[in-house]
Amino acid sequence: MSAMKQRSLEEVKALSAEEAVEIMRQAGIVGAGGGGFPTYFKYKAPQQHLMVNATESEPGYWADKLVHKEHLEEFLQLFEAMKAIFGFEQVSMCVHEKDREWFADYAEHAGDLYDMRYAPNTYAMGEEKNLIKGVTDTKVPRFMDTPDGKRRPGLPLDAGIIMNNSETLLNVYRALFLGKPFTTKFLQVYGEETEIKVYEAPIGASFAEILEIAGIDVENSRHLAVVDGGPYLHEKGIDELGTGDAYVKRTTNALFVLLKYKQGKEYADMETDPPEEGIVSLVGNVSGAHVPLGGPALTPAEPIVSEGDEVEYEQKIGEPVDEGFSVGVWASVGGTISSIENDLVAIAGGAIAQEEAETEAEAEAKAARPRPR
Amino acid sequence: MAWVITEACIGTKQAACVQVCPVDCIYDAGDHYIINPAECIDCRMCEPECPVEAIYSDDEVPEDMQHYITKAHEFDYSEIAPGFGSN
Repeated sequence: MSAMKQRSLEEVKALSAEEAVEIMRQAGIVGAGGGGFPTYFKYKAPQQHLMVNATESEPGYWADKLVHKEHLEEFLQLFEAMKAIFGFEQVSMCVHEKDREWFADYAEHAGDLYDMRYAPNTYAMGEEKNLIKGVTDTKVPRFMDTPDGKRRPGLPLDAGIIMNNSETLLNVYRALFLGKPFTTKFLQVYGEETEIKVYEAPIGASFAEILEIAGIDVENSRHLAVVDGGPYLHEKGIDELGTGDAYVKRTTNALFVLLKYKQGKEYADMETDPPEEGIVSLVGNVSGAHVPLGGPALTPAEPIVSEGDEVEYEQKIGEPVDEGFSVGVWASVGGTISSIENDLVAIAGGAIAQEEAETEAEAEAKAARPRPR
Repeated sequence: MAWVITEACIGTKQAACVQVCPVDCIYDAGDHYIINPAECIDCRMCEPECPVEAIYSDDEVPEDMQHYITKAHEFDYSEIAPGFGSN
């Protein structure tokens, strides 16, 4: 019953909690906000209150807000389904005060299904326990004693709450309703010399290729660096453009471009406007991908493909294992498996490389043009 | 909003917080580490790292340790670089 397939709202609502958890696990869903914690595991212990963390926080971010703008209907259906499956008594959309107007359409639909919570802008980083303190009367305990005599930091579940970020929940919708696995990441490309773009990018896509698509002349921009994340919280990307590469992870939220001698936090006052074109999908538009079988908090999945195999987009390439936390892994591009090393599955020729695609498009346009007599 | 390092850091100074702080806002104040509230971005990365649970949100600091909030605000950060310091 936990197959990856399309389901109507009624069919989704009829899923058992165990079935829904297994679909999330097989679909490979992990926290897309940056933590990367496996989502299925949070739902193994259902709580009373589901909170949507829509307070993306890095200076200049828009992706989650655009996700909400473009997928209101999906979120409404998901809230209804999650209440039926997991017995949530309450669902809350948590947004920053400053984004009240942006989320007006969500406020309009709020009522019995869910409520709106507005977090003070001072809870700037959107950290989940801070957010809970900011929008509820409850507080997550600082620390908890575990039965084996150890202490661990408190978690939302200690306050009866499951919190997911916006994109993570959209991925849950896609898995439960559309039978689609987690193969793409919403991310923004912005910063120095870069007009903001928000892409839905295949997991494992090359940073250099995405930057080229965003209009950056990577080879001739040695003065620039890019990090995986925003000005404040980020991981290593490419220290000097034109040298080396990095790949989109399940936790990548941005490719932030900066002058290579500067630190991210020097861009703390970075402001952007949302891109007019909204979210642009790069699915089918990148030349390959390096798809990770594991990730933070994850035991790598067992590859079920071999070097030389042809795979299709959204074909399963990794089976979750039983030890630790592990999730299913799926091809984010179609193509040939060129290597499986260090828990990375490289898929080559996934789509036609950009230049080739443009040449072909030109050729097609020429062919289609009526010839002069 | 900012986070505050309190009494338990004295004699410990294990510096796990310094290592995880993404904005390098933790300084060596001699007896203990200290968070510059003007630079703290409230990301909470330091709190769970502290082996002696010395780090509190500024609105949750216990009564008898409120003076650490004042100290953090009044400390002169201009003369030292963030990080491990000399100890």
